[in-house]
Amino acid sequence: MTRSFLSIRALRKTFGAFVAVHDVTIDVPKGEFLTFLGPSGSGKSTTLYAIAGFQDPSSGDVLLEDMSLLSVPSHKRNIGMVFQRYTLFPHLSVAENIAFPLRVRRRPDAEIKRKVADMLALVRLENFADRHPGALSGGQQQRVALARALAYDPPILLMDEPLSALDKKLRQEIQAEIRRIHRETGVTILYVTHDQEEALHLSDRIALFREGRIEQIGTGEDLYLRPASEFVAGFIGNSNFLPAEHLQTARGASTIRLADGSIVTGIKTTTSFGQGQRVRLMVRPEAFRLAPGATSAALAVEIIDTAFFGDRRRVMARTAAGDEIDVRPASDAEGADSATTSGKRIFFDPGSAFLFPA
Amino acid sequence: MQGISFRRSSVAGLPAGSGSALPALLLVGLFFIMPVVALLLRSVTDPEPGLQNYATLFGSGTYVRVFLNTFLVASVVTAVTILVAFPVAWMLAIMPPAMGSIVFGIIVLSMWTNLLTRTYAWMVLLQRTGVINRALMGLGIIHEPLPLINNLAGVTIGMVYIMLPFMILPLVGTLRAIDPMTLRAAALCGASPFEAFRRILLPLSLPGVAAGGLMVFVMSLGYFVTPALLGGTSNMMLAEMIAQTVQSLLNWGLGSAAAFVLLVVTMALYAIQLRLVGARRAGGGI
Repeated sequence: MTRSFLSIRALRKTFGAFVAVHDVTIDVPKGEFLTFLGPSGSGKSTTLYAIAGFQDPSSGDVLLEDMSLLSVPSHKRNIGMVFQRYTLFPHLSVAENIAFPLRVRRRPDAEIKRKVADMLALVRLENFADRHPGALSGGQQQRVALARALAYDPPILLMDEPLSALDKKLRQEIQAEIRRIHRETGVTILYVTHDQEEALHLSDRIALFREGRIEQIGTGEDLYLRPASEFVAGFIGNSNFLPAEHLQTARGASTIRLADGSIVTGIKTTTSFGQGQRVRLMVRPEAFRLAPGATSAALAVEIIDTAFFGDRRRVMARTAAGDEIDVRPASDAEGADSATTSGKRIFFDPGSAFLFPA
Repeated sequence: MQGISFRRSSVAGLPAGSGSALPALLLVGLFFIMPVVALLLRSVTDPEPGLQNYATLFGSGTYVRVFLNTFLVASVVTAVTILVAFPVAWMLAIMPPAMGSIVFGIIVLSMWTNLLTRTYAWMVLLQRTGVINRALMGLGIIHEPLPLINNLAGVTIGMVYIMLPFMILPLVGTLRAIDPMTLRAAALCGASPFEAFRRILLPLSLPGVAAGGLMVFVMSLGYFVTPALLGGTSNMMLAEMIAQTVQSLLNWGLGSAAAFVLLVVTMALYAIQLRLVGARRAGGGI
C-alpha cells in the first residue's frame, strides 16, 4: 500500500484545559479536495492552522510525503493558503501580489512575468493586472488571493472559509471557479467551511468535525445518505426527527412504535438497540410523499402551512404528538397542491429512514 | 520656545477656512499671521530697511555652519527616533489592548514631566562621573569615561528621548491598521520574517513613519532647551543662536531673519509631506 500524500496523525491541540482538537487522524491522497466541515469551535480551523504552521499542535504529527512539517517554519512549508478575509498586500498591484511569492523565492524576472500572466488567465483577471486591491470587488480580491496562493505551484492549497465574506450569488460563482481550478491544476485542497451546501458542492470527501473530533469522514453521498450519527444527519441537509420506541430488529430491519402509537417496520439499521429502548427516527423532508407508495409507512398529521418554491413545495405538518415535520415534495407531485386540512396522512419509505439512539 | 508654538499653530491653522469659521480665522489671523508678518517686517527693517540681515545669515560661515548643524542634529535625531520607536510601536500594536494602554500611559506620562527636569536628569546620567559612565567602568566594559555630554551624542540621546512619543503615536496608529493576517499570508507565500518586514510591513507603515518623522524633524529644528544643556559649544543649533543674537547681541533683525528662515523651511517640508502622502493615497485605492 502506498503511503498517503498528506497525513495528519493523532493531532491534538489544547488551550489550557480546553481541548480544541482531539487526536484527529486523516490521510489525504494527492489531488483530493477534502473539506473540513463543522460548526464554529469544532476544531476544523485549528487543524488547518496546524498544517499552515500558525499553531503548534500539542501532540501528533503532520506529514507531507512522509516528511514531518512540524519543525518547518511557515515560510518554508511551501503551502498555499487563501484566507477568510482578503489578505492581499494593499500597496502592491494585482500583478505584484501574484508575483510576491515568486519574488521572495528569487525566481528570474522572465519566469515571474510568464507565471503571473498564467495565473491571471487562470482566475480570469487579465485586465486587472495593474489595479490595486482597494479597487477590486470582494470576489475579485479572493480570486487574486487564489492566484497568489497557486503561483508557486504548492503541493497543498489551504482555504479557510474563503467565501464567507461574499454574498450568495458571488459565492456560487467563485465555487464554480474553485472547482474548475481544482480540475485544471490538480492541486490537493483542504477547505474549511461551516456551510454544508458549499461542502457538498465542492468536495471529493468531507470530514465533519464536532467538538474537536471527526464525527464522520466520507463523500457527500456517504454523509447524506448514510449518516453515522444523529449529529451528521442533522448537520448535512434537512432532517425530521421523531421520538419512538424500538420494538425489535431482524436481519437489519427494525420495527418501532412512534409516539402516536403507530408501528413502522422495515427501517434499515446497523446499530443494535434493546427492546423498548428510546430511539429517534430520522426522515429527510424530500423522502416524504403526499400519496401512498408500494412500501410506504403512513403518518397521521395535520397540515399547518404549504408554500410554493418553484421546483418544490414546502409543507409544514404536525403529528398528533405535537412534532413538526418539514415535507418537501416536488411541486407537481400527487396531492402536492392540497389545501390546509386536518386528518391528512403523509407517507415515507422506511428504507430511506434512519434510527439513532435517543 | 516661542518658535515652536508658532509652528504648531501653522499646522492646525491650515485646514480651517469655511464661512462659519470666522472667529477661528480671526484668532489665527491675530495670533499667527500677525506675528509672522511682524517677524518678516522686523527682519527686513531692523536696524534699517533692506536684506542685509539675510545677507549676513547666508554670507557668514558661522551662521551657515549653525544652519547645517541644526539640520544634521535634526536628521540624526529623527533617524534614531524612528529606529527606536518602530519596535516599541510594533509591540504596542500587537499587545493585548489592556496591556497596551498601560504601556502607552507610561510613555505619555513621560511627556507630562517637566522638560527641564528631564533634561537635567539626562545631565546627571550622561556626565563624565555620571551613572552611566560609572556603571560601565565598574563593570570593566570601558576604562575611560565616554564623552556622552556636550556633544552630538548627548543632544541626540536627550532629544530622542523627548521625541519618542511623537513618533510612537502616529506609528502605532498606522501599524494597528495593518491586518496581522496579511503578514501570515506573506509568511505562507514564502517570505521570511525579514522579507515580510521589508516588502510588506515597512511599506505599509511608511505613512506613519513619514508623519511622525516630519513632526520629530520639525520639532527638532527649533529645539532650544535640550541642545543648550546637553550640546557643546561647537555644535550650536539655530534656536540657541537666535536666543543669543536677540538676548546677548540685541540684534532683533538678525534674530528675526533666522527665525523666518526656519519657518519657511518648516512650511516647505510640510508641503512636501502633504504632497507625498496625498499622492500615496491617490495611488493606493479609489
